[in-house]
Amino acid sequence: MNLLNNFSKKKTDDSLQLSRRKFLIGAANSALIMAFAPLTMSMTTSATEAIKQNAFSPSIWFEINTLGEITVHVARCEMGQHVGTALAQIVAEELGANWDDIRVVHASSDPKWGFVMTGGSWSVFQMYKPLSQAGAAGRLTLIDAGAKILGVSPDSCEVRDSKVTSGNKSVTFAEIISKGKFDRTFTPEEMATLPIKSPDKRHTIGFDRLALDVPPKTNGKAVYGIDVELEGMVYARPIIPPTRYGSKVLRVNDSKAKTIKGYLGYEILQDQSNWIEGWVSVIADSYHSAIKAADAIKVSYQPGDTTNISEQDIIDEGHKLVNSKNAGVLFVNDGDTDKAFDSAANTLSATYVTHTAMHFQMEPLNALAELKDGIWHIHCGNQSHSLTLPAVAKALGVTDDEVIIHQYYLGGGFGRRAYGDYAIPAALTAKQYGKPVKLIFTRPDDAKFDQARSASVQKVSAAIDDNNELFGYEHNISAGWPTLSMAPGFMPKGIDDKGNFDPFSTSGSDHWYSIANNRVRTINNPLAQKTFTPGWLRSVGPGWISFGAESFIDEVAHELNKDPVEMRLAMLDGKGKNKGHHPQSVHGAKRLKSVLEQCKKSANWGKKLPKNEGIGFATSFGQEREMPTWIACAAHVAVNPSSGEITVKKIFMTLDCGTVVHPDSALAQIEGSILWGVSLALYEGTEVDKGNYAATNFHNYTPLRMNDMPEMEINFVESTEFPVGLGEPGVIAVAPAIANAIFNATGIRLRELPIKPEHIRQQSKNA
Amino acid sequence: MIEFNLNGKMVETDVPDDTPLLWVIRDEFGLKGTKFGCGIAMCGACTVHLEGAAIRSCSMPIAMAKGKQVNTIEGFDGKHPLQEAWIEEQVPQCGYCQSGQIMQAATLLEKNSSPSDEDISAHMSANICRCMAYPRIKKAIKSAATKSKSAVNIYDPATSEES
Repeated sequence: MNLLNNFSKKKTDDSLQLSRRKFLIGAANSALIMAFAPLTMSMTTSATEAIKQNAFSPSIWFEINTLGEITVHVARCEMGQHVGTALAQIVAEELGANWDDIRVVHASSDPKWGFVMTGGSWSVFQMYKPLSQAGAAGRLTLIDAGAKILGVSPDSCEVRDSKVTSGNKSVTFAEIISKGKFDRTFTPEEMATLPIKSPDKRHTIGFDRLALDVPPKTNGKAVYGIDVELEGMVYARPIIPPTRYGSKVLRVNDSKAKTIKGYLGYEILQDQSNWIEGWVSVIADSYHSAIKAADAIKVSYQPGDTTNISEQDIIDEGHKLVNSKNAGVLFVNDGDTDKAFDSAANTLSATYVTHTAMHFQMEPLNALAELKDGIWHIHCGNQSHSLTLPAVAKALGVTDDEVIIHQYYLGGGFGRRAYGDYAIPAALTAKQYGKPVKLIFTRPDDAKFDQARSASVQKVSAAIDDNNELFGYEHNISAGWPTLSMAPGFMPKGIDDKGNFDPFSTSGSDHWYSIANNRVRTINNPLAQKTFTPGWLRSVGPGWISFGAESFIDEVAHELNKDPVEMRLAMLDGKGKNKGHHPQSVHGAKRLKSVLEQCKKSANWGKKLPKNEGIGFATSFGQEREMPTWIACAAHVAVNPSSGEITVKKIFMTLDCGTVVHPDSALAQIEGSILWGVSLALYEGTEVDKGNYAATNFHNYTPLRMNDMPEMEINFVESTEFPVGLGEPGVIAVAPAIANAIFNATGIRLRELPIKPEHIRQQSKNA
Repeated sequence: MIEFNLNGKMVETDVPDDTPLLWVIRDEFGLKGTKFGCGIAMCGACTVHLEGAAIRSCSMPIAMAKGKQVNTIEGFDGKHPLQEAWIEEQVPQCGYCQSGQIMQAATLLEKNSSPSDEDISAHMSANICRCMAYPRIKKAIKSAATKSKSAVNIYDPATSEES
């Protein structure tokens, strides 16, 4: 299964389309423009004409002006991953550009060019090949033009530092652009055969460059969605109804609000898509007045039918589902699992629960909406115009081409800004009130409208044969499914044809361990689904599924009296379906084996530790089998058995993600995601209470702070293989490694996330 | 009408007295570098200096700034040693909390020119970074402290009382 292809099936994703497009090189506005164009472009249209008519893909294009400045336009959002820098590095490498000449612009995308989403840890993986080829096409064109100016043969020329050089003669890109004439089209076939630099000749990929988005983020100049203002705009704050779905407004009493200076009125929002129901928007001339007025307004509701749903109800439903033989759809079915369990000498099983977890990105949700000349302009940071724009259009009752979304820096995405439904109340308020509206969620509003990572229940079972070997494995998984709520067209069919499933709530269970009989069933939890909008949270399915899978491997090893690391290594033989394929998963499970061996050494596995301390391991293959980021993680913890207090002393992580384009950003992503892993394991988590999330602000949702930070040792494997994803995978293995370490320290097995001191105290008492 | 000093200039505003300083800075005076995060002084994204002390502007009514000196990230004009260190260490990821982090860190260096890991953690744990760029925040504070002692205004109440 390839998650990306699932997304692409319906609306072909931009990178896949790029590989089927022509590449244009032409001049416009005294700059050289290089861009992808559709194959349907007329044979007689020249590259320059097409460029002048803007008939090219905004997904990625670049231009060089007569000053030699190279601007790379990328339709990916910047939310902390420095993605613009990494993508520009790929172009600069093949083009032979001097890094100081590079600028990045985050372009808005246009739906006609295909599906664009910044998420899934996909960006570099998707864009590496088309960008390398685009850069190479640019280089060849500049060489040809430069060679003419120098009066030499193109074969004698090299490109580096934004110069074409032949022997002791050289000409700069700036001069070439001023003097040359450009009008050239490469066919997809020509693009595919362009010479790409061998890794040993690289001067930009794999080297650190100062990330281009960092300086404005140190002086207050970076513009986030919340910072945007328009002439004549008013402020709004939403009043969010008591249930996520099905609430109706009966009465609104704003008599107290009328005494608040700056209060302008309210609107009961009419959403033609019914995504939001029972919302009131409070309008004022300042945001502070909107906050106060919303607090002063009394709204009576007829609530939806989820007002009494609790976390325990959702988890109880999950237990029922994972124990039901026929629930859900089949995702993996190797060998004959039933037969293995029937003939087993011994079986064991364990059930793992993870609680509701939330985004709490630092920039509260907000959007600014304006109707201008018949077009809706939406200003906000978001991860996917492709998901957000049609949702806004549908809510407004207009067509997609009547909406434009303007992109800004994101004050955190983490999946909450993928389906940008927070733009809907802003747009509806602007429509109903008739003015540009800046709608901002307070933090409690933001929390209430979060798309939380659903609580989950998973049951994992093992069949052991007469030789004390694991030969049968069954994994039943149940949770609320984000993709079902927000992008149902992107759900593939299960292999038993019994229905569709959410790959983002399933991936991670299709592990690379060789086990002869292996079955995974994935099940939607309908109670979670109707109570809230389940969301994609950084590391998505693998982020909680691996807690079950990787804890359970240790439980089996303990039962079989085996070393859990050695047992994993033995199952990572790279045989059969686990041998991988060219290019992204070449060598397969052997690469996972290799990082685990290295991590075992770094963590000095087997060394004697003080009482109540332990080291535990877990592995991960990132977000999906078709884009494996090979990771081994070891956690060193100390546990106080009487107080239950857990101290994570150190996290060791070894990773193989193929070619690293921007090493320092890669390291930053892993540092942050390890800490996310620790935070989700120990400090985050809430529960559903009366149909809402219990957590409302940072006093009762408590991500890790600096004083909780463990020591970290991070090792990247040097590799020239195809680059894969890095934004999320570092999160995944941390929680199970901590749980395994706690077991090794104390003999206490915890099967619930987040892990809390009272869980330890409870089990110490029972022991 | 409330008058106060904003980044060295006297300004005045007629917003209601209970308006948080945050919204006055951002929406009246257009200085958008100071961010809204939680509204209850729990995250630190809105940290500014009031008479040299790091405070949470989301929870400080404008009336309390009357006649006082308020400094925001823009007041540093990109010249504070911490800002340089933030770039050198490539601290920001999403960047949203970083104005607040820098304002918070600046008050540490004013009192303590060579803070230990523990000093930094104790002082900075009031500020959340959701991207969890904490290791780099720590490194950048240390490097600013080491490299630019002369540039950091050092005031130690203990030693100055003795002398």
